[in-house]
Amino acid sequence: MNFEYQKLDNGLTIIGEVNPLAQSAAVGFFVRTGARDETPEISGVSHYLEHMLFKGTDALSALEVNAAFDRLGAKFNAFTSEENTVYYAAVLPEYLMDVAGLWMQLMRPSLRDDDFDIEKNVILEEIAMYKDLPQFEVMDQARALHFGSHPCGSSVLGTNESVSSLTAEQMRSYFSKRYAPNNMVLACSGNFDFEALCQLAEKQCAAWNTVDTTRELDDFRGTFESKHIQNPNLMRQHICLLSPALSMQDPRRFAASLLGMILGDDSGSRYYWGLTEPALAEIAAMQCESMDGTGAFYSYLCCDPDKASAVLEVVRNIFAELKKTGVSESELETAKNKMLSAVTIKCEQPMGRLVSLGFNWIYNSQYQSVQQDVDAIKAVSITDISNLIQQLNPSKFTMLSLGPNPE
Amino acid sequence: MNNTLDIYHLKNGMVLLGERIENVHSASFQFLLPAGASLLPDRCCGAGSVISDWLFRGAGNHSSRELIEAFDRLGVHRHASASAHHLSLSASLEAGNLPSALELYADVIGNPQLAPEQFELSRQLAVSELQGLDDDPRHKTMVLLYEQFYPDPFGRPAIGKLDQLGALPFEKTAGIVKKMFAPSKTIFSICGNYDFDAVCKQIEKLFDLQTEQGLTEEQPVLKGKNCSHFPSEGAQVHIGLMTPAPTVASDSYYEIAAAVSVLSGSMSSRLFTEVREKRGLCYAVGASYKTMKDYAGISCYAGTTPEKAQQTLDVILEQFRVLKDGISADELQRAKVGLKTSLIMQGESTSARSSSIAADHFLLGRVRELAEIREKIEALSVDSVLNFLRKHPFEEFTIVTIGPNAVTV
Repeated sequence: MNFEYQKLDNGLTIIGEVNPLAQSAAVGFFVRTGARDETPEISGVSHYLEHMLFKGTDALSALEVNAAFDRLGAKFNAFTSEENTVYYAAVLPEYLMDVAGLWMQLMRPSLRDDDFDIEKNVILEEIAMYKDLPQFEVMDQARALHFGSHPCGSSVLGTNESVSSLTAEQMRSYFSKRYAPNNMVLACSGNFDFEALCQLAEKQCAAWNTVDTTRELDDFRGTFESKHIQNPNLMRQHICLLSPALSMQDPRRFAASLLGMILGDDSGSRYYWGLTEPALAEIAAMQCESMDGTGAFYSYLCCDPDKASAVLEVVRNIFAELKKTGVSESELETAKNKMLSAVTIKCEQPMGRLVSLGFNWIYNSQYQSVQQDVDAIKAVSITDISNLIQQLNPSKFTMLSLGPNPE
Repeated sequence: MNNTLDIYHLKNGMVLLGERIENVHSASFQFLLPAGASLLPDRCCGAGSVISDWLFRGAGNHSSRELIEAFDRLGVHRHASASAHHLSLSASLEAGNLPSALELYADVIGNPQLAPEQFELSRQLAVSELQGLDDDPRHKTMVLLYEQFYPDPFGRPAIGKLDQLGALPFEKTAGIVKKMFAPSKTIFSICGNYDFDAVCKQIEKLFDLQTEQGLTEEQPVLKGKNCSHFPSEGAQVHIGLMTPAPTVASDSYYEIAAAVSVLSGSMSSRLFTEVREKRGLCYAVGASYKTMKDYAGISCYAGTTPEKAQQTLDVILEQFRVLKDGISADELQRAKVGLKTSLIMQGESTSARSSSIAADHFLLGRVRELAEIREKIEALSVDSVLNFLRKHPFEEFTIVTIGPNAVTV
């Protein structure tokens, strides 16, 4: 696999990982914007804007956009997080240039008022849908509690109120500040011609204006508050714990991910033996999420409401034991093997590679090959993990509990 | 599209299927055991959910902890689930660890310890998972829909029923495990990077088992069309509906696939355009084809706020009904390229192909090569799809809703 790189004069970065043996190719625009870049008045605008990109340009209506993607057989979609908005498509190699050209057009949308009004209904339905999914609701509420006034606590979806009162003009203003070429990366993986991609980008994107975009990158360790939200309509207690982890810029993030796996993988982890295996909780998972300048360990626990305090007691004991005795060589080796096989399987498809490729550039402006990921995982030592445990102290956490249980 | 197929029959009747995928380092395999929800004895609904956990709580000489640790050391990503026909045990891993992983699976399937105290924990977890379904109304809607749509016992929920799981006896469940490996009805499939001769030799040695006759199905009882509402205090009304269609073994299979793709294949499809893009009624709306061996249908889900629920259902039903009145050449062309792309991309995933070839063998008695499927898709015409739709118009619907208010048909 070859890595290729080029930058247009206006700052648009184009990167590619070419694999001539692949049966498909994937392409995506990674835009460095998300909920953390919003003010409370426009909460939810990044995600709403992601929907509006599909509504077309001065030359293409919304229905024409959908038909154009489908004519290429594209597996396409987009997602918005606290800090990125990503548009992607996977296609057969013969359609790659066409689908890349379509995305380039859509990155300069019309944002028409009538499309804006209809799509507002869809966004409000999406907010309602997540209200009926407590496992998402608890994560969203817990993130807000943990990050407090730090921008990473902002809700991606926004609220009924913020979305209802949002205007198309506010969205257009946000778009002009965030969708600048110097704040975007065009990434491509699989079987494709990088030179041709760059020529197309030069033709379609060179006129986009550079804008000065900034983001505050303060780390934040968390509020460590606890909150209970009682909902008698729920059958289970849904609990989310957050504690500080490492940022995407920190080379020790591989060690932090391994620590998350040792503690909360769905098979053979400390949570598994302490909670799932003895049937105290049907779901007990922990993972490390590294973000821009900060990071957090997330735990999600789902259990019988009457067992919630016993579950939390076990979790506290797991963290106390971890602080006292660290992890064993065999636990670390096992976690490495699980992570290495996951990396191998994911990278066998161009779409699996695209996301790693794009995010490595968005966060660190660097290419990280699969082999470099593998080497970084293999290089993590017991001492690295011990140092992290002492520094990050996962036993001190923010907690949000949602369910019928009042406490 | 040049993956090569392998097939081998063990003396005891078990079939081994393989599909090599070049340039990958992983392998994925699957055991389909004839112990699905439709084959379980009366009053044992959900036993498959218990068994798929219990099997891994100690097998051969390995204690529960030793077994899980052995799988994890090999970096095996395991999955166990129950469908109407089968209990499925599947795994993905780096190809070099394949022989060791197969040895562990031979113990799990042929020699599980089945300790009573572990049974109780597995049963409790299954009960918890079922109770959690109430907090996931979308998923629950579809479980209730399939139960109403398919003739009994094929619609029985694999996740179980609370009264039956709560009283599930240890002895009876252990009896099911002892009967579930019926070699002549068991399918093993593997895809990716493997040596088929070596795999066959190893499986032949590990699974040289003859067991008594396996589990048997009851006579199916038809249910007919039905409309049910389950009240709940949620933010949305969750609508599930299903209409009968020919099975994957029928001559019309590719016409059905094209029709479902026109209806709901992607964002330019009828449902997405009419329900979401033009009217803003839903965020989630979509239909898909579901097939068992003898029964099949097209199922559809939509979630919407209560005041829009009736209009959402009306628009969806209208789209099903008018499909037979005409589809454009461009719509069919989009459906064809979408189906072909999905197929080729599936060929890049070892786990997707290993479950596809096992399903083909069970449902059709043979494995279709990718090239054959591609030819059939290319041969579709507007006339062939419309002829199918006119012979099989979508007129009868089973409908299930969960939410603050009901809808009417």
